[in-house]
Amino acid sequence: MEHTSLLERILRGVALTLVVIFFMFPILWIFMMSFQTNETILRIPPQLIFEPTLANYTALITGKLMTAAGTLDIAFMRNLWNSVFLSVTSVAVSLLLGVPAAYAFARHKFRGSEDIAFTLLSFKFAPALLVLLPLTLYFQKLGLANTYFGLIWVYQLICLPLILWIVRGYFEDIPADIEYAYRIGGHSWFATFRKIALPLAGPGIAAAGLLAFIFAWNNFVFALVLASADKQPVTVGALAFITSSGIQYGQISAAIVLSITPTLALALYAQRYLVEGLSLGAVKG
Amino acid sequence: MHEKEKDLIDAFLRGQVDRRGLIKGLGAMGLAAGTAGTLLNLGQTRALAADFDWQAHKGKTIKLLLNKHPYADAMIADLENFKKLTGMNVVYDVFPEDVYFDKVTAALSASSPEYDAFMTGAYMTWTYGPAGWITDLNEWIKDPAKTNPNYAWDDFLPGVKSSCAWNGKPGGALGSEDAKQWCIPWAFEQNNITYNKGMFDKAGVGVPGNMDEMITTAAKLQKDIGGGVYGIGVRGSRSWATIHPGFLSAYANFNEKDLTVSADGKLAAAMNTAGSKAFHAKWVQMIQESGPKDWSTYTWYQVGTDLGAGASAMIFDADCLGYFMNGGDNKMAGKLAYAAFTANPEAKASTPNIWIWSLAMSNFSKDKDATWYFLQWASGPEHGLFGATKMDFVDPVRQSVWKDEMFREKLNKSYPGYVEMFDASAAGASIKFTAQPLFFDLTTEWAATLQKMVAKEVPVDEGLDKLAESINGQLKEAGLG
Amino acid sequence: MTAVVSQRPKPSGFRISKKVLPYVLSLPALLVCIGILIPFLTSVVYSFQRYRLSQPWARQFNWGDNYISFFTDPKFWNTLKVSLLYAGTTVVLELLLGLAIALLLQKRSTLNNFISIMLLMPLMTAPALAALMWKLMTNPGFGVLSYLASLIGLQDFRWASSPSTALFTVVLVDIWVYTPFIMILLLAGLRSLPTQPFEAAALDGVPRSFVFFRITLPMLTPYILTATLFRLLDSIQQFDIIYAMTQGGPGDTLTVFQVEAYLNFFQSTNVGRSAALMIILWAITYFLSNIFIKNWLRLRERARGQA
Repeated sequence: MEHTSLLERILRGVALTLVVIFFMFPILWIFMMSFQTNETILRIPPQLIFEPTLANYTALITGKLMTAAGTLDIAFMRNLWNSVFLSVTSVAVSLLLGVPAAYAFARHKFRGSEDIAFTLLSFKFAPALLVLLPLTLYFQKLGLANTYFGLIWVYQLICLPLILWIVRGYFEDIPADIEYAYRIGGHSWFATFRKIALPLAGPGIAAAGLLAFIFAWNNFVFALVLASADKQPVTVGALAFITSSGIQYGQISAAIVLSITPTLALALYAQRYLVEGLSLGAVKG
Repeated sequence: MHEKEKDLIDAFLRGQVDRRGLIKGLGAMGLAAGTAGTLLNLGQTRALAADFDWQAHKGKTIKLLLNKHPYADAMIADLENFKKLTGMNVVYDVFPEDVYFDKVTAALSASSPEYDAFMTGAYMTWTYGPAGWITDLNEWIKDPAKTNPNYAWDDFLPGVKSSCAWNGKPGGALGSEDAKQWCIPWAFEQNNITYNKGMFDKAGVGVPGNMDEMITTAAKLQKDIGGGVYGIGVRGSRSWATIHPGFLSAYANFNEKDLTVSADGKLAAAMNTAGSKAFHAKWVQMIQESGPKDWSTYTWYQVGTDLGAGASAMIFDADCLGYFMNGGDNKMAGKLAYAAFTANPEAKASTPNIWIWSLAMSNFSKDKDATWYFLQWASGPEHGLFGATKMDFVDPVRQSVWKDEMFREKLNKSYPGYVEMFDASAAGASIKFTAQPLFFDLTTEWAATLQKMVAKEVPVDEGLDKLAESINGQLKEAGLG
Repeated sequence: MTAVVSQRPKPSGFRISKKVLPYVLSLPALLVCIGILIPFLTSVVYSFQRYRLSQPWARQFNWGDNYISFFTDPKFWNTLKVSLLYAGTTVVLELLLGLAIALLLQKRSTLNNFISIMLLMPLMTAPALAALMWKLMTNPGFGVLSYLASLIGLQDFRWASSPSTALFTVVLVDIWVYTPFIMILLLAGLRSLPTQPFEAAALDGVPRSFVFFRITLPMLTPYILTATLFRLLDSIQQFDIIYAMTQGGPGDTLTVFQVEAYLNFFQSTNVGRSAALMIILWAITYFLSNIFIKNWLRLRERARGQA
């Protein structure tokens, strides 16, 4: 990799710049809109110059939205909290259940292992809509309707297959010999799993966990159908700014910015596991 | 409270003093308008309590499912009065409009007892009623023991009231003798013209008097104003919502129908008559010439936003959409005006199809009598007046509210032409669709066909023949045709 | 691999029986999910019924009628065609782009790491809201993208509102939202590849294209397959972006499975037809995934053989 020519480096730089522009421009535009009111957002043609205002953020954070029709209550911060709670708990449960299972599938070819693994994946095949209507009926009978517990359970459909299958791939890439050598040294199965397998699959677990978190965060149909207003995530909350008296683009933008922030913080924190990673090659030597 | 003020308020409530007189009188006693309002509420609460046992359900709690909407906001702002009046507690879930009806369908199809009453549109009750999810409210309205004497069911605009009543038979006339009152109208929308006065003056055009004039006026506006401003905003997304506002209002003005009902109750598509084809051709031409460039993605929001931001010269859509755009932080706030629109040169008056935000009672409610207490209050004359004068409760459904001087003055002051527009078309305002369970199938496909015509993927005549054929097939399949 | 392990003597301190352990590890996950089979089967039953919520009295088993009617329904074939076209286009383009970006960012540096996290931001934007923003940005009047397009001579580019460009536009938004998903998985994969073969190839002076096609790509294949599989599962079930941008229009241009099923369910309340549509979607997904998994296992073995 050392012998890259100048031309190649320039080309790479140009390509990367184009990529960053394509993916970041809409984000930047949303960020800018979050400091504007509809009056400056809706100009023909669109303009870069505007007088920034914090009104959108103030409205979201204080929960008081000033409109021509008076002050409206909005539950945005509550929605944000619901999103955090639902996503964190769901991913945590999924990791607890999924990582050991992934390890089992990767390390042990047992009777029916592929069938069980495929069955777990197949829960992702069913469109949410397909199971939702009957699920509402059963949830009501079981008393799970409108509970966080029920929601977190259903969220496993989003998180678990993803975590299971991604992490499984990473476990399979860890040479069994390393673990074996450790176990020969008199360590228990659990110690081997915890001290060797888990750290080596760290990047995979971080990537899978983060992606599962993002997908859980972005979902809204489960909560919408299964829970009442006080348990709705931020994705439903942000739709409240599409009002019959107009779409509040500024507030939606601010809502997007606020709702990206926790995930972004998590991603930045997980970065060292995610992309720094441990080089398996080094271990393998 | 001071006795003098009490007397004045009671006089108002007895109808001896009109509203303006009341406020003036209270003002003369040195009360600020805000305080006057509070006193008035207290007075009304007392008056309501006088002749009826409002406290019969004291201590009970009911739960509402509401759409995030100015009407719901108006109700919530007034809710303390209800709680005081009845001693009941009211809790509510508000969902964004974008997902509101999905939530309603999900809750009701699961027979959830969580919500006692909810907001709905009349079209939706054509599903909810036959499905057994909502209750026929006649049982309560017509029971003097359960409904307070001031309720004045006759006060509701007749066309609006009967649009919410249907006998449940596919094709059955709305408001017929055997009709069930599936919901109570709360506030409604007439589809007429809202226009940008400045632009009309600049282009030197007047309000169009029929469909042909609308086409030429829109084209002239688009040409003369320039700067990317287009002539006329109408909805165009692939949805029932594209069919029901301006489009169906004008269509009905030409006496065209969506479906015909035979003597033995069979339904058949009626969009491929010669008259319908001629109307469709005009409508499509108007959009192609002077509609928004990305019309096929246009919903309520885009039509309104463009008008409010000065990107369109007029809209043929809900009057209250035009009303909302004339306030708030819209660029064109205060610059809009209103007019009734009569598409057919031979018609005497405008016949707008209407959308009615209504209140319905869930069949799964655990205490329907208590729920009715809320419904009669929320649709009662006092709350209607409060919403109309203090909040954005347009268009109110009660004739008494439209007669209220303060309300008319509020509209006349900031919404030029609104009252005239309303008066000109209220008599002809009703739902023009045939009530039947395939409403959403039919209108979605209708909208898709319009999109194909505007995109010139299919000629108008051929498109309508195909549409009629497809609709007839679906009606047969559902046992209706 | 496991076969080799099991022939060796048992290490000490291994208390749980080797036969039972994998079940102990995997069953909790299965048990948590298995409950979902009940509503799934209920829906299968619905799909064999004539079942409109608005006509409860007419509800009855019509067995295969919902399915059979699809065969003669041009709308259904259009749905199938558009869904497969949409899924195919988005997955292929996102895979190519995601791989290219991962390769660009492969080298470990603070800047590359930072960019890779920043690029995840579109994925963090809920697709329904992302679509709303794109709709604004492509508005002919207020839209910044329309404005930029007009600067390069595309005055009348109509984005999602014209039948000829609607698919392009929703695919573009899908690419914007989901390419980072593939990128991050492949990047993590690239960075966990063993360095040994690459060092050996560099020493031998093997051409870089050869290294890429014969070493990098085969070793990366398992990651590519996982990423593609998950993207495909989501893409063929796409709803948020398409519905928010066009509601399936203009005309019937974008009536993919989920949009049709959603309209049938929530608007027409035709539960039977909606369920049948989704069961077919489920079957297609099942079929495609099966192919994938088979190859996944095979290629995994091969990739490990190469490493």
